[in-house]
Amino acid sequence: MDLAGSHILNTTPEVVWAMLMDTDILARIVPGITTLEKTAENEYKAVAQVKMGPVNGSFSGGLTMQDIREGEGYTLNVQQNSKIGNANATVTIDLKPVENNQTELTFDGEAKLSGLLARTGNRVMSGVANSLTKQFFENFEEEIEGKGGKG
Amino acid sequence: MSKITLKVNQKSHSHDVEPRTLLAHYLREQLSLTGTHIGCDTSSCGSCTVHMDGMAVKSCTILAVQADGSEITTIEGLAPNGQLHAVQQGFKECHGLQCGFCTTGMIMAAADLLERNPDPSEEDIRHGLEGNFCRCTGYHNIVRSVQWAAKSMSELVN
Amino acid sequence: MSNKYIGQSVKRVEDKRFITGKGRYTDDIKLLGMTHASFVRSPYAHARVTSIDISAAESMPGVVAIFTGDDIKETGIVGVPTGWQVNFKNGDTMKEPPHPLLIATGSTAKHIGDPVAVVIAETYAQAVDAAEAVEVDWEDLEAVTDPFKATQEGATLVHDDSPGNLAFDWELGNPLDEVNAAIDASAHVTTLEFVNQRMVPNAIEPRSYIGHYDEVSDKYTLYTSTQNPHLIRLLMCAFVLGLPEHKVRVLGPDVGGGFGSKIFHYTEEALVTWASQQTKRPIKWTETRSEAFMLDAHGRDHVTKAEMGFDGEGNVKALRIKTYANLGAYLSTFGPAVPTYLHGTLLQGLYTTPKIHIDLCGVFTHTVAVDAYRGAGRPEATYLLERLMDLAALEMGKDPVELRKQNFIPAFDGVEQPGYQTQVALQYDSGNYHGVVDKAMKMLDYKKFREMQQEAAQNGKLLGVGFSTYIEACGIAPSAVVGSLGARAGLYESAQVRVQPTGKVSVYSGSHSHGQGHETTFAQIVADKFGIPMEDVDIVHGDSDAVAFGMGTYGSRSLAVGGSAIMKSIDKVLEKGAKIAAHKLECAADDLEFAEGKWTVKGTDKHIGFGDVALTAYVPHVYPEGLEPGLDFASFYDPANFTYPFGCHIAVVEVDKETGKVKLQRFIAVDDVGNVINPMIVDGQIHGGLAQGIGQALLEGAIYDDYGQLVNGSYMDYAMPRADDLPMFELDRQETPCPHNPLGVKGAGEAGTIGSTPAVVNAVIDALWSGGHKVKDIAMPLTGERVWRAMQSS
Repeated sequence: MDLAGSHILNTTPEVVWAMLMDTDILARIVPGITTLEKTAENEYKAVAQVKMGPVNGSFSGGLTMQDIREGEGYTLNVQQNSKIGNANATVTIDLKPVENNQTELTFDGEAKLSGLLARTGNRVMSGVANSLTKQFFENFEEEIEGKGGKG
Repeated sequence: MSKITLKVNQKSHSHDVEPRTLLAHYLREQLSLTGTHIGCDTSSCGSCTVHMDGMAVKSCTILAVQADGSEITTIEGLAPNGQLHAVQQGFKECHGLQCGFCTTGMIMAAADLLERNPDPSEEDIRHGLEGNFCRCTGYHNIVRSVQWAAKSMSELVN
Repeated sequence: MSNKYIGQSVKRVEDKRFITGKGRYTDDIKLLGMTHASFVRSPYAHARVTSIDISAAESMPGVVAIFTGDDIKETGIVGVPTGWQVNFKNGDTMKEPPHPLLIATGSTAKHIGDPVAVVIAETYAQAVDAAEAVEVDWEDLEAVTDPFKATQEGATLVHDDSPGNLAFDWELGNPLDEVNAAIDASAHVTTLEFVNQRMVPNAIEPRSYIGHYDEVSDKYTLYTSTQNPHLIRLLMCAFVLGLPEHKVRVLGPDVGGGFGSKIFHYTEEALVTWASQQTKRPIKWTETRSEAFMLDAHGRDHVTKAEMGFDGEGNVKALRIKTYANLGAYLSTFGPAVPTYLHGTLLQGLYTTPKIHIDLCGVFTHTVAVDAYRGAGRPEATYLLERLMDLAALEMGKDPVELRKQNFIPAFDGVEQPGYQTQVALQYDSGNYHGVVDKAMKMLDYKKFREMQQEAAQNGKLLGVGFSTYIEACGIAPSAVVGSLGARAGLYESAQVRVQPTGKVSVYSGSHSHGQGHETTFAQIVADKFGIPMEDVDIVHGDSDAVAFGMGTYGSRSLAVGGSAIMKSIDKVLEKGAKIAAHKLECAADDLEFAEGKWTVKGTDKHIGFGDVALTAYVPHVYPEGLEPGLDFASFYDPANFTYPFGCHIAVVEVDKETGKVKLQRFIAVDDVGNVINPMIVDGQIHGGLAQGIGQALLEGAIYDDYGQLVNGSYMDYAMPRADDLPMFELDRQETPCPHNPLGVKGAGEAGTIGSTPAVVNAVIDALWSGGHKVKDIAMPLTGERVWRAMQSS
């Protein structure tokens, strides 16, 4: 399954970068995440609860950041396992400054699904992925606004 | 465990069931009414069709606890002992079954269809039974069976 | 002898139990102390098991035992075998990697659903819960699912010792250089490259097994939803578990459809039998529909290039084929036979093609096994030939029906005229191919249809007609012939006819109905031959303890082979009965004639009834000297040849111009399946076959993604025909008796599937051409989207 898209966030790339590197913030804004722990440099353990249509399960696994380009982007490897199947995704994230101190976040990658997720979920998985992405950016914006208020 | 009380084929039953137990499993395992068949796990095949309070339902979409207090009719109770419902008779007359696995659900769905529409067109029958899979008959003789039953029932009325 | 039942549409004996919910399928059976199994399966198509941890699962409520691949490995059980060996062209032995019951640590799972462990618990729910608690660590590996790609340089290997993922390569027909020369010399060559897509059989009853080891008798019983109980017993005892065959009983209760998928010996059958001996408890396993999609052997899946050469007059001169046949990850029971001896041998079709060559690769992929699915090889052969014929007619500007008829083999009855020797090994028994086409064309009213089509086109509507003619080989098969072609079994059938002292008759048949109505058809034959009421005949099948032996029901063989075995026993009963009757009537056996249930002294009214003779056989007070008491005969019938049904199918479709959606308006089928015992049952077989063939043309197809995940593995995603997808079928028949079996029957179970698929596809192409869309081919299934895209790109 292809995962690609972009979104304009209402803050500078530096702020976005800092937020993306902050586990506490990520745990708050990534939909479904219940725990996110740093296990090593650029490696995290994650537990997520996703409940969306036929996709209803508890996922656990690891996140690894590679190819880190300070302030510009990185490649995220996600391996999440669950009883309804496993998801393995590699997504490249790029940040680009745009006018008005905003940031364009672009992501491009692919997710590989197995088990029930692949077998009966595939038909609706791209819809689920879109919903999760939308929710992620909504949460991101709320977090930025919260920051803006504080800052 | 939750206690449920329901009437199945005119007979009262009370049992403790797990909250996740499906009506289909309850009928088969607890009451040994194995005429209700289970052909899938996505509520797509209709083999498990029974009547709940007079309406055809797929018993794999209903939890046993949801059936608490209801009246269920399964294939075993469709006609009084030793007799055949017109739809059952129609399936025999018109070779509306081969392996017999989908048949019980198909008959229950067709009986409900004729209850609501006693004079269905071929299209009505095909549309009315599209929730039930049959892999043996190509549906040709199932349609004829239901037509036979409709005719037989209307002759009985008139 | 007058027939009261044979040829009549007698209502089925078995219906009563099915319509009242009293049918007894394996999952309906409960044994005292029965436990339930649930499997831990690979979520990946290709992955190495790095560790299996059952510690958490073992302490879950209700768990009786957990067995892993490591446990099985320790026992030395290798796995389930295949029943057919097809060697490489150069003589090298077929690659036959083991198909283990469970995957052990360090080994690799080779398709999604490949099992690693089995949990046995008091209830099914407890087994499922505990199976979820088994922790397996996987190393996910690259997978290959397409049979052509799997043979290419650099493709990942399914089995390390099968280079190029080849199980075998194979050829049949005339020498390739002769065929090449004939193609080169042709005035016109029609070429088609296509995929005959993978089908999921989808019997509505999921597979179900109960293994029961009884300590007291030291006997094993396996209840199984199978098409052939004895074959399962033989494979399990001799090749898988090494059990003593006389201590194993295999029972096939009512079976809810099979369509091929329940022929094969599956790992779970052996596993519940073995595990029951370990736990000393009966174990039931019934698959979920999800499991059925992943695990029941699939059908078809060929990638093919076919070329047909014609001379200037439209006479077929040559046929050249290259096919990659997907066999899946493991060789299933008949897997190697289907694309070879059940497919390549049918490429003569109904045509006089003088030069034919097929070259075929049997390929391993990271998918579930591919084996016989209704038609098994013959639908693939028919699709290839009939699509080529239609396309050739389009390309050469000829009428598709006339082009076929021009190339037909002339009629022959196999008695006065000899059978027809094909270029691809088989000898057809009897045929009248023009007859079925003429009948079907009359039903269609071809001239009127073409007028309607033109009129419709002027009104912006796309109507199309598609033709298909087919021949198939069924009633498998002469044991010596199939043995020489690599079969590891004989393909005869057995039947015992036991006349009871009171004149009632029990028939024990090695055929095993899974919806075909043997209890009716067989009883019709026996009742007529003995002149007794059908109610006095009982057909026993599906029990290895009751029935001497059997090869089962598949390949449209039950009546042609199983029925012929019954006929042999009937003859033996009548022959002995005549001796007893002669003794009682004080005449010579030759002076007697048997009719209407009694032996009569020719030219007199002196007679003795069937019942009296039966009683005398068991109370032999006044009895021929030297004759054994009893009236009970067993027979084995090994057919002299395959049987060859044929027919003509016509589809009429309307294609929606805006959406591409195909509406099947009419379907005409004229089939010649030889003599017919029960027309109602034969029609029913044809109907069901048509629905499956039409399903392949328009709706169905298993889709594996590049990682080997089956992405439409549920009834929500895999489109099987529903009641409102199909019209009423228009059927007629021609009866050309089979010359080499006593009933003159050929077989009807698969004909509908074999002929129908290309007729539908041809009709859609015809509809598009009528609207000026010069589309030559669309990949099956012809969904609205695919047809729409084809129209847009033309």
